[in-house]
Amino acid sequence: MELQDIYYNKFEYVETASGNKVSRQTVLCGSQNIVLHGKVIVQSDAIIRGDLASVKTGRFCIISKGSVIRPPFKKFSKGVAFFPLQMGDHVYIGENTVVNAAVVGSYVYIGKNVVIGRRCVLKDCCIIEDNSVLAAETVVPSFARYSGSPARLVTTLPEAMPDLMTEFTKSYYQHFLPTAAVK
Amino acid sequence: MAYLVQPDYVKYTCTCGQQKPITNLYFCRHCLKIRCSFCISHEVDSHYCANCLENMPSSEARLKKNRCGSCFDCPSCFHTLSTRATVAQPRQDPAAGDAKVENKQSKKMYYLLCFNCRWTSRDVGIPDQPVATGGWPERVNPFNSRVNQLLDFYKAVVQQEKQEKLDKERKKYAIRGKYITLTDKTGLTMAMARNIAGLPSSEGAPSSAIANFVPSQASAEWQPADVARLYPLARPLSVKRSQRCRLCDHNLTKPDYHVPEVKIISCETLKPGATCALLLKLSNPTAHEMQITLVDPAEVPEHQEREEGRTIEKSLEKSLCLEKDMSWLEAVSRKVDVTSPLSVTRPDVTLTLAQRDDAAEYDDDAHTHSDDVILWRKSNKLALRLQVQVAEGAVEGPGARLPLALRYSYRNTVPPASAAPLVRDHVLYVAVLLDLGQVYAE
Repeated sequence: MELQDIYYNKFEYVETASGNKVSRQTVLCGSQNIVLHGKVIVQSDAIIRGDLASVKTGRFCIISKGSVIRPPFKKFSKGVAFFPLQMGDHVYIGENTVVNAAVVGSYVYIGKNVVIGRRCVLKDCCIIEDNSVLAAETVVPSFARYSGSPARLVTTLPEAMPDLMTEFTKSYYQHFLPTAAVK
Repeated sequence: MAYLVQPDYVKYTCTCGQQKPITNLYFCRHCLKIRCSFCISHEVDSHYCANCLENMPSSEARLKKNRCGSCFDCPSCFHTLSTRATVAQPRQDPAAGDAKVENKQSKKMYYLLCFNCRWTSRDVGIPDQPVATGGWPERVNPFNSRVNQLLDFYKAVVQQEKQEKLDKERKKYAIRGKYITLTDKTGLTMAMARNIAGLPSSEGAPSSAIANFVPSQASAEWQPADVARLYPLARPLSVKRSQRCRLCDHNLTKPDYHVPEVKIISCETLKPGATCALLLKLSNPTAHEMQITLVDPAEVPEHQEREEGRTIEKSLEKSLCLEKDMSWLEAVSRKVDVTSPLSVTRPDVTLTLAQRDDAAEYDDDAHTHSDDVILWRKSNKLALRLQVQVAEGAVEGPGARLPLALRYSYRNTVPPASAAPLVRDHVLYVAVLLDLGQVYAE
């Protein structure tokens, strides 16, 4: 079925000139280190830890309710260092998901209640199913569908994955409407 | 997969008769036929490691038993092992005196650690390595030479059988292309062949009889019964595949689309004896204007590829040794059940859909039509309003399916072979099956 309209309270969200829609009920630490590249939706109760290291997202990313985006750290002999977190275009992050990845490619779908461990690398076009736990430093190759705890490859994805994700995130953005616009 | 996270509500009928969502279909631009994963030949393009993403030539992969040389999996939970560095202090010799102590240099040593279950290479007594990658001791099976002997022998047997078969069939068939196919008898995966036939990858072993059966079976060459003898497993390689048409050998994986896409926008509740509205979205993914007409599924011309289909079944049967196990027949069943309690009134109009235009998303809103068939139009898409009749005797329950067929115009952009006449415009048919969900009694 086609995606149904999702309504939000017009006064809860801030819309920027580049089309980002960010809820006021989010925790954006170190906002000078957070770059949202346009048409990104950050829903209520999401946490983005820009104070640890820079966080960059591409266009048409959806960060759902209660999710946590947190740059990963690495332990060295002289303490720890945080690494920037990069996210490509057309990425969906489900509700209550924790993302500690180093790189999230484009056209990536991450389900709800997922934990992406430290310094994981998610290549373009992959799916992490709901309720999975990706152990630290996992590399998820392109066109792979991972599931379970620790998440393992379950199946491959069709070649049309970029188009599917593009259509999904674009239609999500189009159907994410303020309540005032309905009248 | 056409809906990403929802079930496949719309299924297309492949030339071979299988029902597949549009994302699992291919279109051969040379035969102008729809193909699915079952009726194409899968080929190995290259081998790569899913962890380090290093490519490996197929000859080398075969030599290394299709495993990566530098990545290892945890033997107990199968997560990829990470390399950890420690600073090792060289052992001090009490007799050597102060001069030696000054000379002492800390040296980095590496070991393997699983971030998931905390297994380390030290657990099984593998000494730390002075280099970060590679250098891990390779284990040799005690029966290695015997296994190799047997392997060579059976390879020779296979060779001989192949030769005999070739001699026998030389008159009947042309020799297949030079590409390695996934189901090649000596090639890598029987599991893949089983997948194509719609069966699980392996027959399944009697598990849980032995305590750590799965980890033990994973290192099949040693099958340790003791946890202390689980050694890291070299990571199996993945393959990049390409798909080829069985008839014309052309590559099918191309980033373009040829078949109009049908999606369900919404459907009213289905009640026996009632008429309900069904909203469909049609889109034209091609770069040319397209005329679409809804037709009766019975009008779709039969495809003349039955004989070829038989050979697929036969070859699958042979390569899978499935003669006794007939469960695959169900998966490969070619009959499409079109008896349905639902029927649709087809509007007698030809719908024209504009070509795909990526800039069109910046245009204004959809043009709404007051038409009772077309609800709105927007660049290469339109919404269609149809009336679905539910039969009086429809049984209450889920899975009410509506068969539908489309006739569409298609412009072939492939330059024809020099001798062939130039026919660019074609009329093609595609049958779809819509899952409209539950029928509710009053």
